[in-house]
Amino acid sequence: MAAALAVLGVLSLAAAIFLGVADIPMADVVAVLTGGGSVEARLIILDIRLPRIATGILAGIHFSLAGYLLQTITRNPLADPSLMGVSQGATLSVTIFLLFTVYIFEPGSNTLAELPVAWLPTAGLAGGLLAGGVIYLLAFRLGLSALRITLCGVAVGAVLHAVAIGLIAGWGSARIEIILEWLSGSLYARSWDHALFLLPFTIAGLVTLPVLYRPLMLLQFDAPVARSFGLAYKRQFSLVLIVSSALAASAVGAVGPVVFVGLIVPHLARFLAGPNFTLSLVLTIVLGAVIVTLGDLIGRLLGQAEEIPIGVVTAVFGVPLLLALLRKTM
Amino acid sequence: MSPRQSSLAIRLIIIAALLAVMLGLLVGAKTLSIETAMRVLLSPDGKIDSILVWTLRLPRSLTAAAGGAGLAVSGYVLQTLTRNPLADPGITGVTSGAVAPIVCCFVFMPLISPAYYPFIGLAGGLAAAAVTFWVSRGGQGRPLQLALGGVSVSLFLGAITTYVLLRTGPQSASLLFWLAGGFQGRSWSHLFYMLPWTIAGVVGALLLRRIIGMFMLSDHAAAGMGLQLSLWKPLILILAVIPVAGVAPVAGPVAFVGLAAPHIARLLKPRGTGWEIGLSAALGALIVTVSDLLARSIAIPRELPVGIVTALIGGPVFIYLVQRGRLSLAGETR
Repeated sequence: MAAALAVLGVLSLAAAIFLGVADIPMADVVAVLTGGGSVEARLIILDIRLPRIATGILAGIHFSLAGYLLQTITRNPLADPSLMGVSQGATLSVTIFLLFTVYIFEPGSNTLAELPVAWLPTAGLAGGLLAGGVIYLLAFRLGLSALRITLCGVAVGAVLHAVAIGLIAGWGSARIEIILEWLSGSLYARSWDHALFLLPFTIAGLVTLPVLYRPLMLLQFDAPVARSFGLAYKRQFSLVLIVSSALAASAVGAVGPVVFVGLIVPHLARFLAGPNFTLSLVLTIVLGAVIVTLGDLIGRLLGQAEEIPIGVVTAVFGVPLLLALLRKTM
Repeated sequence: MSPRQSSLAIRLIIIAALLAVMLGLLVGAKTLSIETAMRVLLSPDGKIDSILVWTLRLPRSLTAAAGGAGLAVSGYVLQTLTRNPLADPGITGVTSGAVAPIVCCFVFMPLISPAYYPFIGLAGGLAAAAVTFWVSRGGQGRPLQLALGGVSVSLFLGAITTYVLLRTGPQSASLLFWLAGGFQGRSWSHLFYMLPWTIAGVVGALLLRRIIGMFMLSDHAAAGMGLQLSLWKPLILILAVIPVAGVAPVAGPVAFVGLAAPHIARLLKPRGTGWEIGLSAALGALIVTVSDLLARSIAIPRELPVGIVTALIGGPVFIYLVQRGRLSLAGETR
């Protein structure tokens, strides 16, 4: 099983490096990877494909791990950053940022060229965390009920989304296209900067996993049961929620709202791992990376020059799976 | 409330809605006095004030009122049919189901006449509702199942709509404004385009009030009273989607009205399904007219899409319902 997964991972990685709209012969790709190759091939592989793959891998880990953590603590098999308002919070803050940068950074001008796009991930992160915080506060007042935290997430998400669309429609003008591009969740033109932006969060998330391991196992139970095992329920619940929100919000900031990865991957992992908790956690991380890499490759190849954003690919493949799950599990 | 009180309440709400429509005639980039508005309303003279009132403001406010009534009745029927307090054209995916195919037609098949949009919206809304209902076992599983199913369907359609917009280019700006939900620039032709669908929905719900009322009990009880479920369930679902099919092409998605209005109507405790439907319709008209009024007067000379305003009103109502444990109606677990 581990071997099969390793093979799948390596294969998808190789496919993502070797395949693309620009047709580069295999030998040239190998030459680039070993330090040689033509200038053009080096540019395409090292500055376009590799950073894109790296960003995709990290974002995939973020989404799937965030979904796994959310699903565990809310004991709701359908929790996902995009169903809990975090994605919509990031969407709204990125929208506001893009609309108002013109007033902050370059009063009077209306050009797209100088938009400080490098700040987008930070703006997304801030908005996602804020939305996560609001939902957490609501849920805290409601006694951390799994049902209510989810419904509040749905409601807060719907309101934030409506406001974001309204702002784009009302004030978007020249920025509409760049916002739409970001809104459909895309790895297009992601650079090493995006990967580097995500890396600290990935490391922090992975490092806290051993600390969260025991609480996570207990958080699968009802609060009274978990407490009887000596768990500081509210504290641990809050901690996991913070880690999950930070992972999701940073990923949405970097690549836009890629829906359903956080929802589907943990299910797939649990299905493959059976009752083995550790294995399901590891599989979630690996599969998250693999699925986003493959999804992006599919979008690149299918759409050719006008590539299909990864968010659309995951929505199209994810939703039928989700609906079947929804009907079966609840 | 007794029927007499109910009919009084409906009249009061309708008067309030009419007052909001009247206020809508005065407010805007150019503020009119009451006397001027009344004068040109009663005897249009073709001058600027008269044009302002008769071709811009009046049809817009009336369209908002009719749209609100339609959405509210749709929400009422959906909530009753599923016995789920969270059901609403937005939450169940009906709205996005109606909107997404219209966007696709507009972009990919521009030759199709807009006259067909309500039918396309009806088909799309029904398809989306059918998926959501299939997932949530007729909407009568846990409230969560319906909400998540509907939101997933909406996310799916939303991802496709965004992608289509992305590939549309310059047209996307006007499509986006429509997608934000609103009544800016809506004229008499929009109103008459929408009205048959709204009237069919509201009148249909009033005529079928006894059958809709039976669904409030349970499938068993309804069947016991001699209701043929396999016939009436799909028919009532179609009835619920009909007003949305009219509103969606004209105003785009206007969120949460279908959720909030029936709940406020029920808070007034009218006696009888018919009164509840009437109250919901009147409240829906009032809410959307007032929201539209706010949307165009907050940021003069700019306009907010009305969808923002209704979302900001409806979201807290939703959270209040969740907090108040009003979900127990459909059996909250955990």
